[in-house]
Amino acid sequence: MHIPDGYLSPATCAVLYATSAPFWYVALRRLKRRLATKLIPLLSVFAAFAFVVMMFNLPLPGGTTGHAVGVSISSIVLGPWASILAISIALFIQAVFFGDGGITSLGANCFNMAIAGSLVAYFTYRAVSGKCAIGSRRRVVAAGVAGYLSINVAALLAALEFGIQPLLFRDAAGAPLYAPYPLKIAVPAMMAGHLTVAGIAEMLLAAGLVAWLQHSHPSLLSATAPGAAPPRSRDCEEAVAPVIAWRAIRPLLAGLAALLLFTPLGILAVGSAWGEWSPHDLADQAARRQIAAVSAHRALPPGVPQGLDRLSSIWTAPFPAYAPRFLRNQSFGYFLSAAFGSGLILLAAVALDWVLAARRRSG
Amino acid sequence: MPPPVFELEDVSYSYERVAALQGISLTIAAGQRVALLGANGSGKSTLLRLLDGLYFAASGTVRFCAGPLTEERFQDETFAFDFRRRVGLVFQNPDVQLFNPTVFDELAFGPLQLRWPPDLIRQRVTRTLDDLNIAHLKDRPPHRLSGGERKRVAIASVLILDPQVLLLDEPTAALDPRSQSQTIDLLAGWKDTGRTVVSATHDLDSVEEIADYCLVFEAGRLVAQGPPAAVLGDDDLLRRTGLLHAHRHAHASGEVHSHPHRHHDHTS
Amino acid sequence: MRPNRVIEGSLRSLLGVIERTLESEELARRSGVLQRLDPRVKLLGFLGLIVATAASRRLEVIAAVFALTLVLAMLSQVPLGTLLIRVWAGAFAFTGLIALPALFLTPGRPVARLPLLGWVVTAQGFRGAVYLISRVETTATLSMLLVLCTPWAHVLKALRVLRVPVVLVVTLGMTYRYILLTIAAAEEMFESRRSRMVGRLAAKDGRRLAMATAGVLLSKTMQLSGDVYLAMQSRGFRGEVYVLDEFRMRPGDWGWLALFCALAAAALWMGH
Repeated sequence: MHIPDGYLSPATCAVLYATSAPFWYVALRRLKRRLATKLIPLLSVFAAFAFVVMMFNLPLPGGTTGHAVGVSISSIVLGPWASILAISIALFIQAVFFGDGGITSLGANCFNMAIAGSLVAYFTYRAVSGKCAIGSRRRVVAAGVAGYLSINVAALLAALEFGIQPLLFRDAAGAPLYAPYPLKIAVPAMMAGHLTVAGIAEMLLAAGLVAWLQHSHPSLLSATAPGAAPPRSRDCEEAVAPVIAWRAIRPLLAGLAALLLFTPLGILAVGSAWGEWSPHDLADQAARRQIAAVSAHRALPPGVPQGLDRLSSIWTAPFPAYAPRFLRNQSFGYFLSAAFGSGLILLAAVALDWVLAARRRSG
Repeated sequence: MPPPVFELEDVSYSYERVAALQGISLTIAAGQRVALLGANGSGKSTLLRLLDGLYFAASGTVRFCAGPLTEERFQDETFAFDFRRRVGLVFQNPDVQLFNPTVFDELAFGPLQLRWPPDLIRQRVTRTLDDLNIAHLKDRPPHRLSGGERKRVAIASVLILDPQVLLLDEPTAALDPRSQSQTIDLLAGWKDTGRTVVSATHDLDSVEEIADYCLVFEAGRLVAQGPPAAVLGDDDLLRRTGLLHAHRHAHASGEVHSHPHRHHDHTS
Repeated sequence: MRPNRVIEGSLRSLLGVIERTLESEELARRSGVLQRLDPRVKLLGFLGLIVATAASRRLEVIAAVFALTLVLAMLSQVPLGTLLIRVWAGAFAFTGLIALPALFLTPGRPVARLPLLGWVVTAQGFRGAVYLISRVETTATLSMLLVLCTPWAHVLKALRVLRVPVVLVVTLGMTYRYILLTIAAAEEMFESRRSRMVGRLAAKDGRRLAMATAGVLLSKTMQLSGDVYLAMQSRGFRGEVYVLDEFRMRPGDWGWLALFCALAAAALWMGH
């Protein structure tokens, strides 16, 4: 997943450096305040650990071997900010000294793995482990999920970065200047490898190390377990099948339901959303006048722009304009779409929950 | 009677609920060369770190040159810099102390942190390298140094500050015989220089050369003290505190058996 | 009996790192053109060339920078064989594999047809693949050359010229140092396991071995961090670090800096 030089245009690289910079800055400030003098030895030694662990050949189910990145265990032990810096440092050394990953693309690699990876891993771990005792099995599962998710999010970001290259950067003859594959190829190609191999490797490393730490050095897990129940508490060991604490997120669900009810308010907005015009809107005279009216009367491009025309037909939504065609009532259509969308997400969460619980029961 | 450098009164220190030191009271005078004897885990390293102001006593008082040695005092930069210059600690594991990219940088680290001017630093580094015969290692990275070389660089990195008090944790541990004897020569050479030297060791053979006074520790307590001849002659004490060992060996006469001994006693 | 992949594979990667380190230390000591330049000049110059290569829209410019890199390598006594093994072969295999499907998948003007499968190669696909491969090779060669001809400690200190904060420079130096120490520890653990092994390691045991090794390394890591912290404090560290400025620009260095700037600017302009 380490992106070498030459795959991303300088513009993309610059944008990703610029996006990473505030995270680095905030991380450094927060860490300096909290750790003060201990910052340097802790980060250096941990970055060295991450670097070395990246070289381990981990055997995966199915007979393959894979490499982990270590960002999830780093987040779990050090917390997200220190992890951001430690992994960035390891990536820097890999890139500059060992040529693993590019120098112009270092910003991108840090953003995908060190920053997004650390944050996703940390929040997933916290969300799934809740207030469990440090020694509970649930934390091991939480670490595994955090590892898997963080790597796949990082891979998805990389895939998106690759995928937009041919869209934006071509030479005069139309040949792609950088990564040559559009999103519809880049995303499945990247995700295939990570959903199966790299994600599992990371999951195993994170879960395995947390289990090992629970045995030998439980104090190392306490930094990211504020308010963890004391070891004697039976709450977490006897936790019923749901891995996600449904009780805890009841207020969230109530809030979501309220929001759902209010979605039809969107119809009150006059005209179409600014910037969300279709080729049809830009071809129709009446619509064009409306657009000009809300755009400070700037001149519109004559006709429909080429790019818009070409790209708008790539994907046709199942429910265009948020209303299935058979419904007459617009507000009901809005509400239904919102419910459908949130329902899909909740369904995915429940499915994940069930799968993990089933594995825990059998494992 | 020379002024006391360190005075400890009923000092205790625990680490993760394990009592590393209990009720330690002792005095170390200026210019004295003291050996801390005891098996591994008897509290010698902890005591050295207490003396170096890295750990602070949970109870009891520690005094350095008649002033209290507490965490609060180290907040004052002037005191801290002065202390760090006057007291140096050589750790048991040199890798812990060699964290800079090259030997030159390592020696320069201490003076740099104490804000010496760059020219003085360069001068002193060169001189210290020459003094310890490691000038040829100036640009070497630590991973390309042998065990003995690492030890010498570690010692050099502390000596460059010209401390009046030197604390050494197992100075001859894990060294090959030649490096061991070089280190012992170095320590012996500090006799009568006015430097206060405190060495924690369980290498009984070298104690007489490097120390004028011994403190014996067992399980975090100070159990005996006295000049080397007295302490080393007390076989009972040595056996009790784990400093003596017994294993099969041969005498010059050809007899093979096992009994408690120290290796230079094979005349009989 | 097939050697076990966890142990063998991990050891191979770990030892590879050590080899790279030794090799680059050896090359950095030779007295070639690049070795004698001020590290800051090299850093800025090479960065300029890398950016120019990344930004170029013309293959000729990329080729020219590559040729220049080869000349610099030869003038610095870096054997081309080393570059071949360290950079070119690997990058070509990896990126070549990635670029291969692009020959057929990029829409455009067809120029060739595969005999058996009938897949069509487009001109745009071909050009795209060439862009990618040439860019990757050139930038990789540039960054490798910079590091092969400069001691690591100097590369780090030169970063100060880019306004990298001192705390990061010091941390990077310590990280590099402790990478080598951690590798030695990991190596020892794997080799001791290998010497005690009879027969193949089942996947489950392999996982446990990897986890145990990583776990022991992790606890050693945390222990080390605590000890190093004490050692730093013992020599006066209180949170702010300082480094010694040891680079002095000589007249030749200014000349080379100007040359690098001119070349990078030319490449940027012509590649536009």
